[in-house]
Amino acid sequence: MVNSILFILFGGLGIGCALAVVAQRNPLYSAISLIGVFISLSSLYLTLAAPFIAAVQVIVYAGAIMVLVVFVIMLLNVEAEERRRARMAFLIPVAVLLAAIFIGEVAFILKAVNFDVPLVTSDVGTTKSIGIGLFTTYLLPFEITSILLLMALVGAMTLARRAVILTSVSRLMSGPYVPPEEIEEPLVERTEERSL
Amino acid sequence: MSWDSLLNHPLMHPVWLIIGITIAFLSIMLLVAATVLAERRVLGFIQGRLGPNRVGYFGVLQPFADFIKTMMKEDLVPDQSTKFVFLLAPTVAVITAIMAIIVYPFGPTVNIPLLGPVPLRIARFDVALLYVLGVTSVGVYGIALAGWSSNNKYSLMGGLRSSAQLISYELALGLALIGVVLMSGTLDIYEIVQQQSGFFGLHWNIIYQPIGFIVYLIAAIAETNRVPFDLPEAETELVAGFHTEYSSIKFLLFFNAEYVNMITVSMLATSLFLGGWNGPGVATFPILGVFYFAAKILFFLFLYIWLRGTLPRFRFDQLMNFGWKFLMPLALINIFLTATIQAYWPDLMSLFR
Amino acid sequence: MMEGPQLSWYLVLSAILFTIGVVGVIIKRNVIAMFMCIELMLNAVNLTFVAFSSFFRDVTGQLFVFIVMTVAAAEAAVGLGIIIAIFRNRESLNVDEASILKL
Repeated sequence: MVNSILFILFGGLGIGCALAVVAQRNPLYSAISLIGVFISLSSLYLTLAAPFIAAVQVIVYAGAIMVLVVFVIMLLNVEAEERRRARMAFLIPVAVLLAAIFIGEVAFILKAVNFDVPLVTSDVGTTKSIGIGLFTTYLLPFEITSILLLMALVGAMTLARRAVILTSVSRLMSGPYVPPEEIEEPLVERTEERSL
Repeated sequence: MSWDSLLNHPLMHPVWLIIGITIAFLSIMLLVAATVLAERRVLGFIQGRLGPNRVGYFGVLQPFADFIKTMMKEDLVPDQSTKFVFLLAPTVAVITAIMAIIVYPFGPTVNIPLLGPVPLRIARFDVALLYVLGVTSVGVYGIALAGWSSNNKYSLMGGLRSSAQLISYELALGLALIGVVLMSGTLDIYEIVQQQSGFFGLHWNIIYQPIGFIVYLIAAIAETNRVPFDLPEAETELVAGFHTEYSSIKFLLFFNAEYVNMITVSMLATSLFLGGWNGPGVATFPILGVFYFAAKILFFLFLYIWLRGTLPRFRFDQLMNFGWKFLMPLALINIFLTATIQAYWPDLMSLFR
Repeated sequence: MMEGPQLSWYLVLSAILFTIGVVGVIIKRNVIAMFMCIELMLNAVNLTFVAFSSFFRDVTGQLFVFIVMTVAAAEAAVGLGIIIAIFRNRESLNVDEASILKL
C-alpha cells in the first residue's frame, strides 16, 4: 500500500519533470528538470530494493554528467529558443498525439500480460551481490567498460584542445585542396592552453 | 495496550524518525552558531587579539546577534529573468549540506529508563557511504547555479572555479574512503564504527590507513572551500566569488551551508577513521559515547580554524595541479596497497587481539 | 493495489518516459536539449532493467544498468566535446542551421 503511494508520487514527479525537460525553452531549466527526473528515478530504484544502483544513479548522472552539461550551458552562454516558425508549428501537436497513441498501445499490451510476480525483499540489490556478479561472471564487460572510459577521456581532451595539428588539417579540409608548401602561416604554432 | 507495545507499534516509526531528525537538526544548528563564534575568537587568539566578547558572557550571543543583523539587511535580487535559479541555488546548497547528517551514529545503544534501548542514530542503510558521496556531488549545483544566476562575470568566474575545485577533490575524497571500505567490508557507517570498538582504541582505522586519512583530510578541506583552498571565495580575489550578489537570508543560507559542510565532513572523518563514539569506558556507560563523538568533531573543527589562521592560500592552478596530479594518484596507491595487503593478510587486525 | 506496484506499472512508466524523450528529440532544436532528451531515453531503459531485475530476482539487470551508466558518462563527455567544437566554428547551437555539411 505504501509502496503504491510512493510509486505514484515519484512516478508522477518523474513524468512532470520529463515534460518540463521537453517543454522548457531555456536549456538551463531543462537541465534542472532533468536532474529532478534523475532524483525521482533514484527514489523509484529504492522502492525496487536496488539501493546501490540508486546511489550510483545520483552520483554518476545527477552529480557528474549533469554538472558537465550545466558547465557547458553556462560557459557557452546558451540562450532560450525562440518560438517556432509558423510554418512547422503543426509538428508539436502531431508529435504529442502520436506519443499518446503509442503509450496507449504499450499500456494495453502490458496490461493484457499478467506477470503476477510479487515484489519480495531480497538481497539481489545489495552491493555485495553486484560486486560478486561484476567481478566474476561479468568481468569482461567490466574491463571493456574501463577501456571505453579511457577512450572517452582521450577523446574529450583531444576535442577540447586547440592543438596545432588539428587546426592545420581542418584548414586543409574545409576548402579546396592546398598543398602543404602553399600554406602561408607557419605550420607549427604555440598551443594555447585553455584556462578558466 | 501496554507501554511497550505502544512504543514498538509500526506506526510510531515515523514519529521516532521525526523526533530524531529534530534533535539532530537543532544540535547541528547550535553547533554551527558555536563554530561561528569559536572561529572568530580562536582566530583572534592566533592573531594576538581577543575576538568578540561583548555580546554575552565571552561573546556567546554573538552569532545570534549576527543572525539578527544579517536578516535585517535589504534583500537584493538581480533584475534578470533568472530569478528562479537565483533563489534555487542557496536552497540546494543548504539542503544537501544538512541531508548528509542522517547516517551517522551519534552514540551506541543507550538504555533510557522509560523508553528501553534507544539506538542513537537516525537511519541505517547499507549504502550509507555512497549516499554521503552522492549528496556531496549534488551540492556542487548550489555553487555553480549561484555563480551563473548572479549575472555578474566575477561571480560566474568564481562559481565555475569553485565548482571545478569541488569536482576535482570529490574524486580524491571518494577514493580515500575506499581503503576504509576495503578493510571493513561494508559501506554501512554504523557497521564501520562498530568494528572499531574495543582493544583500547587499537582498532581505529587511522592506524591502518594513515595515507587514506591524510588524503581524506586534505580533500575535505578543499571540498568545504576553506583555507588554504578558498581562493574562489576570498575577499581579496573576485570580490566574494559566487556569493557576491547574495545578501540577507540567502547569504545566511550559504554561510550556514559552509559550516554544516564542515561539520558533516568532520563527522565522516571521526566515524570512519577515529572510531566514532568509541573511547575509554563506553562499554559500561554508553552515554559517554555521545561526548566522545562530540569531542572528536570539536577537535576537527578546531583543526579547520587553526589551519585558517596559519596557512596562506593556494593559487588556482596550484590547487588544481595538487588535486589531480598529487592527491588522486596518492589515493589510488593507497587503494592498491590496501587491496594487496587485504588479499594476502586479511586478519591484520588480529595482530592486536 | 493491495500488494504494491506491479511489474507492468514500472514498464508503463518507463514507456512514458521513453516516449517523452523521443518527442523531445524530435521537437527540440537546441543541440544540448536534444542530448538531454537522449539521456532521458537511456534512463527509461535503465528503469526497465532494474524493474525486471528486482521482480525476477536476478542481478544481471542491475549489472547492465551499471554498464549503461558508464557508457552514458563516456558518451556525455565526448558528445559535449563535439558540441563545443561545433559551437566554436558556427557560434550557434541550432541544429536547423547545421543540417548541411558546409562549415
